[in-house]
Amino acid sequence: MLRIEGLSAGYSAKPVLNDISINVGAGEFVAIVGPNGAGKTTLFKTISGIVKPSGGAITFEGVDLLAVPPPQRAHLGIAHVPEGRQVFPSLTVMENLEMGAMTESGRRDWQTNIERIFEWLPVLKERRDQFAGTMSGGQQQMLAIGRGLASSPKLLMLDEPSMGLAPSTADFIFERLIEIRRQSGLTMLLVEQRVAEALESADHGYVLEAGHVVLEGNNDTLRADDRVRKAYLGM
Amino acid sequence: MEGFLQALAAGLLIGAVYGLMCVGLGLIFGVMRVINFAHGDFMMLGMYTAFYLFTAAGVQSLFGNAVGPFVSILLAGPVLAVFGYFVHRALISHVSGTRTASLEGEGHYAQLILTLGIALILQNGGLIVFGSVLASIRTPLSSSAWELGPFFDISIFLNKARSIDMIVSLIMMILLSLLITRTRIGKSLRAAADNPTAATYMGIDVDRAHRTAFALGCGITAIAGGLLATNYPFHPFVGLEYVIVMYAGVVLGGMGSIIGAFWGGMTIGLVQQMSTLILPTQLQNAAIFAVFLLIIFFRPQGFFGRMVERT
Repeated sequence: MLRIEGLSAGYSAKPVLNDISINVGAGEFVAIVGPNGAGKTTLFKTISGIVKPSGGAITFEGVDLLAVPPPQRAHLGIAHVPEGRQVFPSLTVMENLEMGAMTESGRRDWQTNIERIFEWLPVLKERRDQFAGTMSGGQQQMLAIGRGLASSPKLLMLDEPSMGLAPSTADFIFERLIEIRRQSGLTMLLVEQRVAEALESADHGYVLEAGHVVLEGNNDTLRADDRVRKAYLGM
Repeated sequence: MEGFLQALAAGLLIGAVYGLMCVGLGLIFGVMRVINFAHGDFMMLGMYTAFYLFTAAGVQSLFGNAVGPFVSILLAGPVLAVFGYFVHRALISHVSGTRTASLEGEGHYAQLILTLGIALILQNGGLIVFGSVLASIRTPLSSSAWELGPFFDISIFLNKARSIDMIVSLIMMILLSLLITRTRIGKSLRAAADNPTAATYMGIDVDRAHRTAFALGCGITAIAGGLLATNYPFHPFVGLEYVIVMYAGVVLGGMGSIIGAFWGGMTIGLVQQMSTLILPTQLQNAAIFAVFLLIIFFRPQGFFGRMVERT
């Protein structure tokens, strides 16, 4: 579904991503893990078009993504749940969800989507008329996820959904994501620093360090790898 | 007492029009974060557009002297919106929006110089094209009044043209708030203002949202300018007199708040008219800024400054 080949990108003269190749198949849950500054967020920004790559190719369902203007990429079926949530603070919860549904498919499926989102993340229903900026971090994260789902995406990209949250809240959000995936079969691409949880939920994983993919494999291979166990899982 | 009520009424009437004028600028600033020094001159163009639509384009003969001016004023709005659309497309978009989002200072220096340049071109171009003779959109309503009362021996006189100006302003304001709060376009403008990057992730074309806001802002201020022109004569440099008031209104209302800009403008209208009770007329504008500084001293974020944001 999403194929990244030999991608390099960075800011000004400083390269952040070096020759990255990542493949996400339809229906897969892929996790990209790695330490701070490894280039995980830059990778997502490049997929969404906010950062321009210096080399390589990205195709989404056979379409050359780099030839598509950034605002059009959401309309292809890519939903980006950004790092640090980035909900629209002066819009209500409901209006935030409506912004998620700016895509054609999001508008078409609005009724069914909103019912499912409220079922998965009931707190959004309770707080539907509250300004998003006045909610707690965990609630904002759930709104950011709901907003992504409202576009009827083919691919849901999640950038560190646990960032800045209490461990119990982060656990709850992971549990919700697994439930959403189980019920919808949605393709997901997750970037995470909480390596143990991320690898546990994903089918396939990539380890990103200093802009390079240093390791890839399925869930079991990665968790069995000595380096991953030592560096990230603390075993 | 009678003088007080009369000044209050006059303040409310002019304040509504000032409010509408400030909202045009507030919309542009709120959505784009661009400081548009040329906004007063866009308003000047709106005044002349309404003037020529009325006198030269046949609106006068079609609608008569009473209704005609208001028809021309309402038509000047869309004309200036189209003009604003192309100015944004040709000039402003090069120094704002996604093109400059990653630059230091987000391109504000270039924006200041560009909008100042546009202001100079419009002022001096206006002088060449329209001449320096004072113009005004006169209607017989400008020199007649409705009498309110008498209540307890006090009668208040409301200038007919100014009363209609206020009604038109309020209707425009209601329509605009409905557009901003209820429609998909309005909500996407607010989303683009809140967080341009996240708006792009939602599939909102931020540059197009900016263009819409700029066109709308120009159109709204043009209508407010036309309404002012039914009572105040104007010339090609009139924008300078109003642009300061516009900024004071936007800052008073709270930078970024569109509804706040209306109340900011209303406050300025009220202060301007009420100050004549105790101060000579020449000090009207001094009074505006004395009150402005006082309010900002106690409430630096303005009436409707953003309180909902959380980091």
